[in-house]
Amino acid sequence: MRKLFAYLKPYWRSAALSPFLMIGEVLCDLCLPYLMSFIVNFGILGEDIGASPVASFLIGIFYPRGGYTPLNIIILFGILMLVVTLIGGFFGTLCAYTAARASQSFGNDLRRSAYTRVMSLSIEQTDRFTTGSLVTRMTNDIAMIVEFVEMILRMFVRAPMFFVGGTIFLLTLDVKFGVVLLISLPVLLITLFLVLARAVPLFGTVQTRLDRVNCVVQENVGGARIVKASVQEDYENRRFAEANGALRSINYHVLRLMAVMTPVLILVQNLAVIAIIYIGGSNIAAGVGGMSTGNVMAAVTYTTQVITSIMMVTMMFQSVSRAMASAKRVREVLDTEPTVVGGTETAGTGADIAVSFRGVGFRYPDTAGDPVLHNVTLDVRRGETLAIVGATGSGKSSLVQMIARFYDPTEGEILVDGRPVQEYSLQALRHKIGFVLQKSELFSGTVADNVRWGRANASIAEVKEAAAVAQAAGFIEGFADDYEAAVAEKGASLSGGQKQRLSIARAVVRNPEILILDDATSALDLSTEAALQKALRTRMKDTTVIVIAQRVASVKNADRIAVIEDGTIRHCAPHEELLEISETYRDIYASQMGKGGAVQ
Amino acid sequence: MSAQEKRVSAAPGFDMRPGGRGNPHSRMTMQKPQNMKKAIGRLLRYIGASKYLLILLIVLMLAITAAELAGPLLQGNAIDAIEPVYRNAETGEILYNYDKNDTRFEGISTKTTFHVHFKGGDLIGREGHTAGLNAYLAAMGIIFILCSILYYFQGLIAAKLSQRTVYMLRGDLFAKISRLPISYTDSHKHGDIMSRMTNDVENVSNAISQSITSLCSAALTLVGAFAMMLLLSPLMTLVAIVTVPLSIFVSGKLGKFMRRYFVRQQRLLGAMNGTVEEMVTSYETVVAYGKEGDAVEHFSTISNDLRGCAISARVWGSVMGPVMNFIGNLQYVLLAATGGAMILFGGPGSISIGNIQSMLAYSKKFTRPINQIANQYSAILTALAGAERIFAVIDEADEIDEGKLELAPADIAGSIAFEKVFFHYIESEPVLKGFDLTVKAGQKIAIVGATGSGKTTIVNLLTRFYEVVEGRITVDGIDIRDIPKATLRHFIAIVLQDTVLFHDTIRANIKYSRPDATDEEMIAAALHARADSFIRRLPDGYDTVLDEAGSNLSEGQRQLLAIARAVLADPKILILDEATSSVDTRTEMKIQQAMVSLMKNRTSLIIAHRLSTIRDADVIVVVKDGVIAEQGDHDTLLAAGGEYAKLYQNQFAGIAT
Repeated sequence: MRKLFAYLKPYWRSAALSPFLMIGEVLCDLCLPYLMSFIVNFGILGEDIGASPVASFLIGIFYPRGGYTPLNIIILFGILMLVVTLIGGFFGTLCAYTAARASQSFGNDLRRSAYTRVMSLSIEQTDRFTTGSLVTRMTNDIAMIVEFVEMILRMFVRAPMFFVGGTIFLLTLDVKFGVVLLISLPVLLITLFLVLARAVPLFGTVQTRLDRVNCVVQENVGGARIVKASVQEDYENRRFAEANGALRSINYHVLRLMAVMTPVLILVQNLAVIAIIYIGGSNIAAGVGGMSTGNVMAAVTYTTQVITSIMMVTMMFQSVSRAMASAKRVREVLDTEPTVVGGTETAGTGADIAVSFRGVGFRYPDTAGDPVLHNVTLDVRRGETLAIVGATGSGKSSLVQMIARFYDPTEGEILVDGRPVQEYSLQALRHKIGFVLQKSELFSGTVADNVRWGRANASIAEVKEAAAVAQAAGFIEGFADDYEAAVAEKGASLSGGQKQRLSIARAVVRNPEILILDDATSALDLSTEAALQKALRTRMKDTTVIVIAQRVASVKNADRIAVIEDGTIRHCAPHEELLEISETYRDIYASQMGKGGAVQ
Repeated sequence: MSAQEKRVSAAPGFDMRPGGRGNPHSRMTMQKPQNMKKAIGRLLRYIGASKYLLILLIVLMLAITAAELAGPLLQGNAIDAIEPVYRNAETGEILYNYDKNDTRFEGISTKTTFHVHFKGGDLIGREGHTAGLNAYLAAMGIIFILCSILYYFQGLIAAKLSQRTVYMLRGDLFAKISRLPISYTDSHKHGDIMSRMTNDVENVSNAISQSITSLCSAALTLVGAFAMMLLLSPLMTLVAIVTVPLSIFVSGKLGKFMRRYFVRQQRLLGAMNGTVEEMVTSYETVVAYGKEGDAVEHFSTISNDLRGCAISARVWGSVMGPVMNFIGNLQYVLLAATGGAMILFGGPGSISIGNIQSMLAYSKKFTRPINQIANQYSAILTALAGAERIFAVIDEADEIDEGKLELAPADIAGSIAFEKVFFHYIESEPVLKGFDLTVKAGQKIAIVGATGSGKTTIVNLLTRFYEVVEGRITVDGIDIRDIPKATLRHFIAIVLQDTVLFHDTIRANIKYSRPDATDEEMIAAALHARADSFIRRLPDGYDTVLDEAGSNLSEGQRQLLAIARAVLADPKILILDEATSSVDTRTEMKIQQAMVSLMKNRTSLIIAHRLSTIRDADVIVVVKDGVIAEQGDHDTLLAAGGEYAKLYQNQFAGIAT
């Protein structure tokens, strides 16, 4: 938490001012019952105003020569009350402003700096956080911290001030009233502690059971076809009823515990009031000096305020633990140093070899056993089309992702355009590459927006050209708004094949030196894929294309095909030659072409 | 350009894939219900189902309100008991404006036997005792102890009521979800359906447990306090309510101003969370295109706007408190001045100091509910909007299921016929146009065709996930609409491209198709599906609990489990939608073997993606433009050189060179 407070530093003036303004407000609030007691004692009851030095001093200012009636006293102190209320309100609003200004600016800076950090992490680092958790950290957690800071700036002074101030004022009315607080406060605190100590651990269980309910619903919505096809609606309803019932019982259990809080508070507060009146009353009856009805009334107010402030503190302690947890989660993000950092070079050497792997090895961090890849050495010529095949998990994706520095090799080095990838600035390196990922992620916006993601300043003609190469022009022009058609959240309105073609268009529009298709054509039928390959060959002659695919038909026309086996490239040759030299390739070919042992 | 591709902006894809697991987005903005009365009525009916709880709750609230209202009166009386009323010792006249220096003066409390003697302004002695005081205090004590106990039970009952209502609401919503036609889940975002189950139900639950009780007790207190004030002093009541229009006016005006900022703040917050979610979930793409800087810049713009807006919203929000305080204190001063004047000048309607104290307490109780109602307003609106969204799902029509013809699996041989079937998802875009297909019992039919040609639709119609628009489909000559859906689906097993697994043990997942199967049968099915060996290698074997969506298995293993499930179902008719996803060669081979043995002795409809499947099929059906373009076996069709030959070259054999 302390580290995060550094973000508050630029706004320290606002932050430091807030507690003082709050003290002003609280003081005004605390004065009110006193003024009220003057109204009652000296105005309504007509007691001698000389009994209170403060009251006689105040009245002396306005009526230096005396001659005031009790009604004058009521009106004078009434107006004073209103003035004090106004001043208090003024302080309060000002405090709200300074606190909001400090906390929101703090939140803004924290948010931006955390987001900037997230955007500089390597893929491996974001994977380790998991995207879902990063999103919550960026949104809920930071919001929680901002709320907390604002609350500290306002409430952490308010509650103790009310507590201390209320107690002092109460004691100045009469020291004997202190006994009431001495008894009621421990009772209250112990009860609160007992309830919370039992209830808080249950919150986790509530969450788990809620997750379970959501999980069942999710499965039934997502898997509706299987549920219906298996005629398991009744079973699912029973399963849900079980989860729902469990949630209900734990919720009820927690609420039952929490239900103790309000009655206890009401009881303690009112018994304290009774005690105050009793003490006051018996003192008046006994003729103890200084005790008056107005004082008893003021004392009742102060006691209520003190007890309420205890409740406020309890609530705050609850949010402290939550804010701490959030702060820890945000700090983890801020403390993560990006592992992939760019160099300074912006241009390559114009070498003939577009991509060169030199003894490259790769192993996921923190994993034991064999590395994913080892000793991969391969040169890809400029303008060449290289295909990579291999079993799932053989490291094909890791190999191409290292070119764009999603990951760095753990051994050896990769050169792009004659220069080790680490020497380029990340921006420059990635500018050279058009990368089409396995999962085609689109963004909300129009079709044209999504293509222009590849190059923001592409003209509409260039967008159309890219779409044509990617074999996407046909379906795009079928939309009512063609290139202006809206793409729903994550491209939900498009079929898998359409998404893949749009992602390819997005890469093509960059006119990259190196185009990488990481299993990006799996949803295209072969005729579309063939047309795509043809268009790439004819319209992007100088572009080096690296294709990962599962289907032999997708790769057989590549200049060379690299077969990854046991973590390294065993063979790299054109289709026909590979059929002769690589047994694995022959196996793959046979299983897909139905000539081999696939069907027995 | 196929028909399916054209549908882009009209509706989400109707492919078989269940996919689209959206996160339930938290809905932070306040929503307004469309028809408030109707939503309230229906929600009340749910709450009303727990009639006795509700009656008990209302009785408790009445008792609590009465007890709380008695508080200030007793407190006032107690204060009166300690404050003597002074009389002229000679005349017995009550002295409101007494002069302590008057030698005739003697203070005597009317309410107590309590004498205070002044002589020439000096207190010369007191006698008597505060007889009333202890009684009043004791009464207060008893009332508040009672009140606390009642409060406790009110809390319990409110909790029970809200949990029971929400339990019912969730149950009904879920029951409806399981009865909805597939077209509903296909055409609605899953995240949206989920958020009804989570956020909306949550909002309703909060409203019942908190807002409703506090609203009811606020209303009761309002009426009660007003009545008590009238009883105590009509004149002062009049003074007290002078400030009410003022506070309503001011809070209305301020609220309007505040809302403007709050609405904007919610919108910005939504935009910010949206951009974070989009960029973080698509981070690889962001990185691949070097868009990190742009993303940060875009985020900063929103974040800066949000900062400004949040400050304004908070400042305006915090003005409300002081303003209301001021009005409250204004009322207090007015009441005190009036009360003071009444005591000073006596006359008709005179009032005691204790009564003034009670009046002040009641006036606070009178103004608080107004604020309370205003505070709960947005929570209740949000809950009602949520309830409406829940009811909207509950009101959806059930799946049509009017068949009455009960059949046992043994009665069915498994022949299928599509007779002049017409179908469309969207009126203007027909998918099947007079589709005819006859499948003999035990035949293997491979369906091939371009994407969007209607292959998947055939499966959707046969399982009655969707209903034919025209024509009919028969099984053994019986129109499938005459058979109850449950019976029909017992004859059929489907294996989809994307395997659906449940967060449960592998055992339960395989037995899903037939929960009454024995363990031996289940293991036999797994062996048959070539799944047994990998299952046994898992740490807990068949008792391994799968993650949500079964993500701890590979795609290929998931498919094997789905096949095992179908084997166990032992259906008459099997529908296979072959997966296109990438699986390594070894697993691929296993899957193929498993599928082949699964198809033995059953009528099988396969949406084929593999050459081997096609070659094995008894009949290949080529679908194009909503009708069958060609059918026959592989060699015949290939020799004919028609649609199939083209497709074969394109999709299966590789690129013709």
